[in-house]
Amino acid sequence: MSRAEAAAPPVRSRGNLFVALLLAWLFPGLGHAYLGKRGTAVLYAVIVTAAFLLGLGYHGKLYVHEPEHPLTVLATFACYGAGLLNIGARLLLDNTGGNVLSPTFEYGCAFILTAGMMNLLLMLDAYDIFTGAKS
Amino acid sequence: MPADHFLAMSLYALLTAGFFALLWRSGRRERWRYFFFVLLTMLVGAIAAGWVMYPVPLHP
Repeated sequence: MSRAEAAAPPVRSRGNLFVALLLAWLFPGLGHAYLGKRGTAVLYAVIVTAAFLLGLGYHGKLYVHEPEHPLTVLATFACYGAGLLNIGARLLLDNTGGNVLSPTFEYGCAFILTAGMMNLLLMLDAYDIFTGAKS
Repeated sequence: MPADHFLAMSLYALLTAGFFALLWRSGRRERWRYFFFVLLTMLVGAIAAGWVMYPVPLHP
């Protein structure tokens, strides 16, 4: 990066930051599509959705906060990071607690929590793109 | 879904490697290089960790 590039102020994207962040949370890649990054938006959508659905397929759990287990608040936060995927799964599925007896239960939870955390990272990435911190 | 641990681990490595290559690298070549680096690190690291833990008894 040249000195002139380093000294130049970051270029802000057009659009609304709140809308970009809300779309980014609602569905993976939607915030990037709103900011004009359509190619990567599709790839993000495929990756995060695949991770979430694999988590459900592997009998993972959609966490809810259990006061007797304080750390479940973090897992619940990660689940809700997946936006509509999480909300839709909670509304559509009869059993959101996974299957603890399944040999793939831990994998399922890892996939679901990772999908949620990925989507939260995409929100931060959308924020960086909007403010010009990332091109 | 098949209860194959290696398959599940490989799928997890594939998705996370793809995600972070897209997020943290720019340019096609850089992204592919980072993708394969993360993928191989996760797979080889998991197999190595499993090999190291092999002598540890499951039910002490």
